Amino acid sequence: MTFLITCPNCGPREALEFSFGGETTRRAGPDATDVELAGYLFFRGNVNGWQTEWWLHRDGCRRWFLAERHTLTNEVRATYWHNDREGSTA
Amino acid sequence: MSERLPPRPGEAIARDRPVTFDFEGRKVRAFEGDTVGSALAAAGVRITGRSFKYHRPRGIMCMTGSCPNCLMQIDGIPNVRSCTEPVREGSTVRRQNAWPSVDRDVHGWIGVFSFMLPPGFYYKLFHRPRWVWPLVEPFIRSKAGLGKVPREADHDAREVQNHHCDVLVIGGGAAGLAAAAEAAGAGASTIVLEERSEPGGSLLGSADGVGAESLLGDAEAAGARVLVGTAAFGVFGGPLVAAASRDRLHRIRPRHLVFATGATEQGAVFPNNDRPGIMLSSAVELLVNRYRVLPGRRAVVLTSDDHGYATARTLRDAGAQVTVVDLRPQGGTADGFAVIPGSTIVAADGRRRVREVVVGEPGSHGGRSIPCDLVALAGFAAPSTNLLAMTGAELTFDERAQAFLPIELPPNVHAAGAVAGARSTAAAIAQGRLAGLEAAGATGHLTPEMDERIERLRLEAAVDQDPVVLPPEAGAGAGKQFACLCMDVTNKELKTAVAEGFDSMELLKRYTTITMGPCQGKACMTASQRLCSRATGSSFPETRPTTARPPWTPVELGTMAGWRRTPRKESTMHDRHTDAGATFMWAGDWRRPHRYATPEAEVEAVRNRVGVIDVSSLGKFRIRGPGAVELLERLYPNRFADLRVGRIRYGLMLNDEGVIIDDGTVCRLDEDEFFVTVTTGNTAALERWITWWNADWRFDAQVLNVTGAYGAVNLAGPASREVMRALTHSDVSGEAVPYLSATRMEVAQVPALVLRIGFVGELGYEIHFPSMYGEHVWDAIVAAGKEHGIAPFGLEAQRILRLEKQHILVGQDTDAESDPYEVGLGWTVKADKEDFLGKRGLVGLDEVAGERLVGFTCPSEWLPPEGASVVHEGVWVGRVTSARRSAAAGSVVGLAWIPAGWASEGTGFEIQFGSNRARATVALRPFYDPDGERLRS
Repeated sequence: MTFLITCPNCGPREALEFSFGGETTRRAGPDATDVELAGYLFFRGNVNGWQTEWWLHRDGCRRWFLAERHTLTNEVRATYWHNDREGSTA
Repeated sequence: MSERLPPRPGEAIARDRPVTFDFEGRKVRAFEGDTVGSALAAAGVRITGRSFKYHRPRGIMCMTGSCPNCLMQIDGIPNVRSCTEPVREGSTVRRQNAWPSVDRDVHGWIGVFSFMLPPGFYYKLFHRPRWVWPLVEPFIRSKAGLGKVPREADHDAREVQNHHCDVLVIGGGAAGLAAAAEAAGAGASTIVLEERSEPGGSLLGSADGVGAESLLGDAEAAGARVLVGTAAFGVFGGPLVAAASRDRLHRIRPRHLVFATGATEQGAVFPNNDRPGIMLSSAVELLVNRYRVLPGRRAVVLTSDDHGYATARTLRDAGAQVTVVDLRPQGGTADGFAVIPGSTIVAADGRRRVREVVVGEPGSHGGRSIPCDLVALAGFAAPSTNLLAMTGAELTFDERAQAFLPIELPPNVHAAGAVAGARSTAAAIAQGRLAGLEAAGATGHLTPEMDERIERLRLEAAVDQDPVVLPPEAGAGAGKQFACLCMDVTNKELKTAVAEGFDSMELLKRYTTITMGPCQGKACMTASQRLCSRATGSSFPETRPTTARPPWTPVELGTMAGWRRTPRKESTMHDRHTDAGATFMWAGDWRRPHRYATPEAEVEAVRNRVGVIDVSSLGKFRIRGPGAVELLERLYPNRFADLRVGRIRYGLMLNDEGVIIDDGTVCRLDEDEFFVTVTTGNTAALERWITWWNADWRFDAQVLNVTGAYGAVNLAGPASREVMRALTHSDVSGEAVPYLSATRMEVAQVPALVLRIGFVGELGYEIHFPSMYGEHVWDAIVAAGKEHGIAPFGLEAQRILRLEKQHILVGQDTDAESDPYEVGLGWTVKADKEDFLGKRGLVGLDEVAGERLVGFTCPSEWLPPEGASVVHEGVWVGRVTSARRSAAAGSVVGLAWIPAGWASEGTGFEIQFGSNRARATVALRPFYDPDGERLRS
């Protein structure tokens, strides 16, 4: 498993330089129901296709960003800072 | 060396530069440019090894590194392909898999018992009665395998090199070099990988035709990088190509790939087709034309196209007597040699060397005998599609080529030359140019008239070729007919395996191990497929080749492993600890002092006088900005909004399940600036955790990991204030610097941040300072503390001291299910805060009566180990997480998980580990200074 990811800060780099942060989820807030809490803690979409996910440029600028990656082909079609995209939450 | 032919232009050897190496105790003289295999052939060595199973003599077969016959132990490295390995002065060469010697191998008798060694014999034989297998297994194991693994560690430096390019060409033959010249000429950054030590591919051995040198010159002049001796062995998604050379692993990330991997000549199957002297025409042409060695004087060439006639002319010109056996009824033109048309080799004979062949019509059982000492099998080449197949390319059977060719290619993949079915140099070069231009164009490197040139090259590349005529699947007569030379699998054994029900290539592969040997199917795939199809009654096209997987060529394990790396962090005071006689232990990636003197003496010094411990490895973060308070309020269940500047507060960190992930201190340096410490081994994970939430919540806060920037020591003990007074001009009285305060001051003339906290329960100062001053600060403290009896203390003493205070270690005393209420730290949870990590997860947990982490005393001689069980009436109900002997408590003290109902002062419980048992008593308050008066003093 290795491919290139374009860090919004540093440019295209080996995937091994990054840490995977998982698919974006909706955090269960203080008022969440038990079902919402369990869904957030223990369930993932595990999609076969395009997925928005967190990546950390661990061996580079050490910044977190979002990437749209195809889970089957590992093609990464977009990377961007969380600040540049409204509405999504970890 | 008397066996060399006269010099000729284009030969590989430099006759004025002799090289000598040791071959089994004998000096062999060769020339620079020779391979070990060519030098041995010139020296008259005909047997290059013994076969894997039957120990049959084997000789040079391919000269291209495509078969198992010449694997040797060279300078201790086993299984080196000697036919392509360049000679090196003074090296030591040994043949393998024979005892006492390859020439007189006593294991040759194994072939006599071959009826006992059918495919899968190790699944069938010797298993009944059951006591037989343990007796025979050691013998079979000692006979199995090739070469001897050297016992010494391989200290060669191995590296990983990353490459990025527009176009990667795999294969430096005619097609590959042509592709590289075009791609690089158009401006694409281009790399060529060539496995052998010189580029040229099949051109190298040819007596005429386009020279490899001019093609190489064109490619290099255009700017292509040609990496020789570098074998691509795997293609992965991305695309990523892995290649190995002598000292490194190459990871290449091209945008487009051109496969010019050529074709591998295939042998023919007939009785005794493995006898030394029976070789592929590639080997004959390379030996004669490149290395000027004549491998035999009476030669038979089996062919069905022009290739065999070129080989025959080469041999004729070198002075051999040649007979061409042509499968085609019409045959070819005799030209100083005899031609027998419409015939094939039915069988061969000879033991240590081929002596004669029987030639007859295909399908016949006999024919005329022709005495010979050399057989060249010419023109049956299988496209080397294995690496190409790893890209997901579809292979389709081509009737005319009698081979599986790449028809459907992924968009960034091109194929050119013999791998794509070209069987002439002109076609290969045209296809190479076309692929190179297309790859350059696709990577944005357009040249004038590119489209017209591509159109023209398409016409040149699409040449009409004669249909390929393959020899019969097998011959006839007595003697083993080998399909697979690596694993010694014969036609008969394949038939048996099919009869037993293993009736497809993938099943045959797993059962008989065909195509699984060192050659990975290079030399045997076609023969195996055809024999399989004959035995199963299916057609050749229906019999798919086995799936190719990396590594396609042999790769040394050292190349994969790389050089040895163990991350290791040391504080800037490390040498001082070494000088003081410390023993060290791992704490995460850090080497930290375990003890200097005895831990008991160190504990005694801290409790009664003063001690100093290096805590530089503590994770340290500076968090600042307008959003810093908000970030901390969310990260911790504790409250920090009301923390005054210059004050410190303890905090647990939880995840959203409400589970403890770390603990540490938060110190407010300014309205918008905090200094946060975390556990040593958790620092990297917490940096990710904190920065991740900061990114997600989009707070206006900066998080900076300053762990390496600051050194830190903890000065602790009743005399520590006196020592501080000697180190600084600032007021360090209890009023000026109270417990849980943070003060900037100079310590030993170094700007420092002094935190009044202590893990060990004594008056203490945690001094953080720029790490470059480590030795200076350490020396100053030790000097200032001398009159007070200061002692450095290590982690073992610290663990005793903290246990006496019942301070928990996250990860040691807690696990992946521990919440703050269970460990008695519920007071740090401010449930009325609007939100924090773990707030929702903690709801209701304070009322769950599960387990509790409690302190215990245990007046026992026996020290329960970590993980000892807490038992009740023989049933496991909890466990010990830490235990040490305490002088202060006068007994063993520790922490243990017990049922919540037992968590009251004085409750007794039983601890068990193996046959050891002890009674323990719950102690809810610290064993030492329970009210913390010493700490606050």
